Amino acid sequence: MMSEKFARAGDYTAAEAMIVYGARMLAPFDGKIGIIGIGAPLLATHLAKILYCPDMKMIVETGQADADPEEVPISIMDSRLTYGSSWQMGDPEGLFPLVRGEVDFGFIGGAQIDKYGNLNSTFIGTDYNKPHKRLAGTAGAVDIGGFAKATIITMAHQKRRILEKVDYLTTPGWMVKKWPEGTMVRREEVGLPGGPIAFISSMGIMRFDDETKIMYVDRYFSGVDPKTIKENTGFDIDISRAREADPIEREELRVLREVADPLNIYRTR
Amino acid sequence: MKKSKVVSLTEAMQEVHDGDCIAMGAVVEDRRPVAAACELIRQGKKNLIILAECSLSEDILVGGGCVSAYRGTYTAIGAFGISPCTKRFAEEGKVVVDDIGHIDVCLGALATMAGAPFIASRTTLGTDVLNPAFDNVAKIRNMARNPETLPAKKYVLIEDPFYGMGTVQLHPAMKFDVFINHVQYAGEEGTVRIDGSLVFDHFAVHGAKKVIVTAEQVVPEEYLRRDPNRNQIPCTSVDMVVEVPWGGHPGQVYNFYDMDIPFMMDYVNKAKTDEGFKKWADEWIFDVKNHEGYLNKLGAARLEKLRALPPYGYRPRTKGGAK
Repeated sequence: MMSEKFARAGDYTAAEAMIVYGARMLAPFDGKIGIIGIGAPLLATHLAKILYCPDMKMIVETGQADADPEEVPISIMDSRLTYGSSWQMGDPEGLFPLVRGEVDFGFIGGAQIDKYGNLNSTFIGTDYNKPHKRLAGTAGAVDIGGFAKATIITMAHQKRRILEKVDYLTTPGWMVKKWPEGTMVRREEVGLPGGPIAFISSMGIMRFDDETKIMYVDRYFSGVDPKTIKENTGFDIDISRAREADPIEREELRVLREVADPLNIYRTR
Repeated sequence: MKKSKVVSLTEAMQEVHDGDCIAMGAVVEDRRPVAAACELIRQGKKNLIILAECSLSEDILVGGGCVSAYRGTYTAIGAFGISPCTKRFAEEGKVVVDDIGHIDVCLGALATMAGAPFIASRTTLGTDVLNPAFDNVAKIRNMARNPETLPAKKYVLIEDPFYGMGTVQLHPAMKFDVFINHVQYAGEEGTVRIDGSLVFDHFAVHGAKKVIVTAEQVVPEEYLRRDPNRNQIPCTSVDMVVEVPWGGHPGQVYNFYDMDIPFMMDYVNKAKTDEGFKKWADEWIFDVKNHEGYLNKLGAARLEKLRALPPYGYRPRTKGGAK
């Protein structure tokens, strides 16, 4: 008996869905150069390189060119990224290609995202000197979101994380701050290339309107009601264009569970 | 006979003075000078200003009460979450923070390496890194033992006069009173060979008044000089060399050992509270007395399970003798 091609909602966790759809997003980048951030993007990229883009050239901010890890790395300076790479230098050599305009896409996470795709990974609260929650800081995110020709964002879908306005603008999305006044302007106006093309959450795939650059729901995952996405978003997000995403294939789950992360290091299940 | 730069860890860390601006080599949890950080706590350093990042080794210093300010790009320990002590101290206002971008750190060190006062780029334009409300440079400068190590301003915006790239940022050079670097190999005269990522160490050593290298192995200088192209830090930039085997534990050191994940988890869990960190520090810094005591407490069996396997440079999870 032939097994079913598609998995059913309930056969996988929301975290696994986020990884699988994140991996699919990289399919058009086979043969291109991508810079990958720590966390979920590393696992999704590992899966994507097995299934969808074996010739994608992965750069990491600690200076590996065309990193090709056998095992999924957990650290941005993981020894697994070094062995087998084309070139191993340092952070300047890893990051400067972004500013030179050589990086086709960046893939990053964050703690907060606003409707223009700006990310906050610095602090939560109103007082910088006594933050409610101190976060990770800029790390590579500010540079990746600033200079990759396209940015893909992934993080869990929670109301407190998807907001009208972020507490601190760490990674530039579509509407950014022009200094010294801090007025909100389109990113092109401060000379930044690229911009976020998609936000993959644990519930669906959000994109940004061509005209307004405001985030809308493009796809919802099987078993997720678009109204639930709206309820779990901190601003009044447009769901009128939402369609169901192509379902997850059993083979994608098998590769994720048996090949990409057999020891469940990323605790997606 | 040329003069040897080899000293003990105690002697080397005595070169760090209260109020110094220091940076530690490598990044996140890997190839970090953890043993050096523990020794700085034993020596009771105070009011250190941490530059570049506040990850594993710096977070231990924060927990140990050695740090009054931090200026850099990263306050987390990768998969292990936000640097637990740094998080607590920042939220309580006990450590002054000034955030800059990751490329900003690289460019600052590059400027110093080039002997330049500043360098121009388009990085962090459009973000709150440039928000004057979040600029603590003047405050931190006032806390430094040597204020001239820190810039008089966070940044300046100018119009690109050369290629018409629009508004660009001038980043001040990033300088250090002391740079502490953990590496795989150092010669007695200070030549350094790093395996794996160099991070920004090959820039930063040229921007520090004093460079202290802790090495997994101190090898005959002559061995490293047989192949100078494989060395990344010249003897002329290094002041002191200390042999500290397993000096980056619990992180990875490429070609030497892999990450001690249970140890990392134990640290980040305990360090979430003042009492928890104190308990951890009593156990792993004070009661063991020194790095040899730390290694003896870990035990040979535990360390052997971390040893890197050729040709990978790490310990594969499912290959070799892994069980």
